[in-house]
Amino acid sequence: MPAFGKQTKIDIQHAQESKLANGIPVYSVNAGTQDVVKIELIFPAGARQQGLPLIADTTNAMLEEGTTKHNSEEIASLLDYYGSFLETSAHHDYASVALYTLGKHVSKVLPVLEEIVKEPSFSQSELDIYLTNKKQRFLVEDKKVRVVAARNFPALLFGDNHPYGHATKIEEYDTVKRDTLQSFHKTNYSANGCAIVVAGKVKDSVLNSLGDSFGGSNWKSADAQLNGKTFEVQPSAEKKHLIVKEKAMQSAIRMGRMLFVKSHADAIPFQILNVILGGYFGSRLMSNIREDKGYTYGISSGIVYLKEAGYFQVASEVGTDVCDKALVEIYKEMDKLCTEPVPDAELQLVKNYLRGNFLRSMDGPFALAERFKQVWLHGLDYSYYEKYVATLADITSAQLKDLAGKYFQKDSIYELVVGNKKA
Amino acid sequence: MIQFERFTLENGLKVIVHRDTSTPMACVNILYNVGARDEDPEKTGFAHLFEHLMFGGSINIADYDNALQQAGGENNAFTNNDITNYYLTLPATNLEVAFWLESDRMLSLAFSDKSLEVQRSVVIEEYKQSYLNQPYGDVWIELPKLAYKVHPYQWPTIGKEIDHIKHAVMADVKAFFHKFYCPNNAILVVSGNVTVDQVKALSEKWFGPIPPGNPPMRKLPAEPKQTQSRRLELERDVPVDAIYKAYHMGGRMEQSFYAMELLADVLTDGNASRMYVELVKNKKLFSEINAFTLESFDPGLFIISGKLSEGVTLEAADEAIQEELKKVSLAQVSKEEIEKARNKTESSLIFAEMSILNKAMNLAMFELLGGAEENNKETEKFMKVSEVDLLVEASRVINENNCSTLYYRSKSKVNGNGN
Repeated sequence: MPAFGKQTKIDIQHAQESKLANGIPVYSVNAGTQDVVKIELIFPAGARQQGLPLIADTTNAMLEEGTTKHNSEEIASLLDYYGSFLETSAHHDYASVALYTLGKHVSKVLPVLEEIVKEPSFSQSELDIYLTNKKQRFLVEDKKVRVVAARNFPALLFGDNHPYGHATKIEEYDTVKRDTLQSFHKTNYSANGCAIVVAGKVKDSVLNSLGDSFGGSNWKSADAQLNGKTFEVQPSAEKKHLIVKEKAMQSAIRMGRMLFVKSHADAIPFQILNVILGGYFGSRLMSNIREDKGYTYGISSGIVYLKEAGYFQVASEVGTDVCDKALVEIYKEMDKLCTEPVPDAELQLVKNYLRGNFLRSMDGPFALAERFKQVWLHGLDYSYYEKYVATLADITSAQLKDLAGKYFQKDSIYELVVGNKKA
Repeated sequence: MIQFERFTLENGLKVIVHRDTSTPMACVNILYNVGARDEDPEKTGFAHLFEHLMFGGSINIADYDNALQQAGGENNAFTNNDITNYYLTLPATNLEVAFWLESDRMLSLAFSDKSLEVQRSVVIEEYKQSYLNQPYGDVWIELPKLAYKVHPYQWPTIGKEIDHIKHAVMADVKAFFHKFYCPNNAILVVSGNVTVDQVKALSEKWFGPIPPGNPPMRKLPAEPKQTQSRRLELERDVPVDAIYKAYHMGGRMEQSFYAMELLADVLTDGNASRMYVELVKNKKLFSEINAFTLESFDPGLFIISGKLSEGVTLEAADEAIQEELKKVSLAQVSKEEIEKARNKTESSLIFAEMSILNKAMNLAMFELLGGAEENNKETEKFMKVSEVDLLVEASRVINENNCSTLYYRSKSKVNGNGN
């Protein structure tokens, strides 16, 4: 094998903070070779703030469906003309509206972004169409074992009443009311709590235009509901669950457990442990369950970090005839990490892989903006990455074994199978 | 616009280098000129199964992934009807590891029985996951079969049936390797923080000694012109009726492709597109509708697919699609509509060039299709499509006699049970 380096020194280009006149923080990453910009507005308007089901999602999606000045088609037409596009998404802790555009068109399309954020009309007829079509889509998605498993697993950990755990039910689409969306928008899509992340070729003119569109004090909300309520975690009493889909040829597996928030002392070491178990192609789960036994096309494990919680999960789709065998092997792999130290060669490989991956994860302006968001959203800063690189260098097999013993005890793992367990 | 340099080794391996110093990474992409269209009709799915086996160990390296991960790299591959494409990214300082890995598996595989046995199972699970255990998944098995009677595009990349994969034996694997996996049937593209001299030296060192092979001249039967409308009805356990209409169109480098791509945008891309406004928003006949081309190299398909709203019949949905299409061929698409579609395309091509991986893949694909410089003519080709060009091409393609229509019925609906 040819000689190779280990990427010990990695410089991260930090996002630069400035403030609009009304106090909205702007984090900008000026990087890359192409004259493109992504402008993302982030609001405290996620599931945790919504109160009633589907309000965060629907409010966010309806922003594109018409304003007091332009209907849905006109908005799309305006952006299409400049080859710009929007990406709206609502998450558990926040909602986002992002605009992608060529740098030369920023001043033309930014007013459109401003309009959809500040003056959505939530037209009843558009809302009806949106909800009807969402219900149709839900019915289709409900036929996918993977989707059903992903939707229902968090409820086992958090309880169905918790916004992090709630599994959407189709009848909830019928409860969404226009005035609820309007009031949610009024309180949660305002200058209070808004933050802007800009990435790409970020010229001064871009920042100035942002000030023109969003720097005024006329869109502050008097009664902003920024942080949401506190919710009680009510985990399922039973650990093992099966949702039967009679005709399934494959079963979807989700298993895992509650962890901690991203700032927890175990967060970085656990991330490394997770990679060994199921976080890359050469992981133990892939090597055993796909590459040795051929039970699946893919299996992985991962950590979901939310603002106030975190959880670990394994996900796969396996032949129904080998579902039980796959489950046994997954537990076996977790147990092995608890009882046997990770061999040096494997640990070294994972460390090298993760260093390369770290470098890859910061390639380009949008990726750099993502790195910023992934600490900032959790109340962390760039020192998290310094700690990550240092932990990667120092962590030992003994530490990983202790950590596995702490988090991979079989009786702490929740298990959900969607499909069936027969040949 | 991607700057690049090109050279060819004595054994016929074509090498393209694109230097981008804004990244610390390098990307190595190898395209093998073999896809599902080159398969024996009795042994389909083989190009794709073979792609899996390329990770099962090569002559001198037991574990491809292990070695690459050691060097901080990440890789994947895809097979389609036309090509098999392998790619990896890694820190540019470790570039030589990529050359070592890729040249060894071009030289020869380990041909491990265990790997064949396991990957057969893995691909069968992939078949279930992507086609059989997904609502509407078998559309992509049935629709090509309806549209193509002669050309090998009639079967999907994963294979006509699971049995073809079950029955693959080592002799097939070896024959396939020797037939297609040789330097003069491959294109190597290196992009990222590299220099041309460095890539030249590494190419000579690692790929230079591999002997050339005798890849077959591709002689695929041309699909005869379709002269009659084709129809198929399927009844499946899905919640919502769906319709698929597939029209024959030109290949990837023909003007037809550029016109039909733009037409697809005009019809269904975004909230201001024609069919979305008319059929989803105004008439509420569909919950979703999409028009797209399959981007295949040989003459391909322009497809319109839609999921029907509750209470709408497939016949009414079909008629509504045809009515919208008729508007396109009767009157010109407006200048503004096409300008929008062109601008969107121009912009998406600029966004696509943010990634060294995308750039490498595109250079490799265009090198095969006639020269890597073709990549840099894409924007211009889209910009040159006029309203008249679009009208002419749409009139040629959009015609029921040139169309295969699939009615995909919900079984629960048929049985009168709405849920």
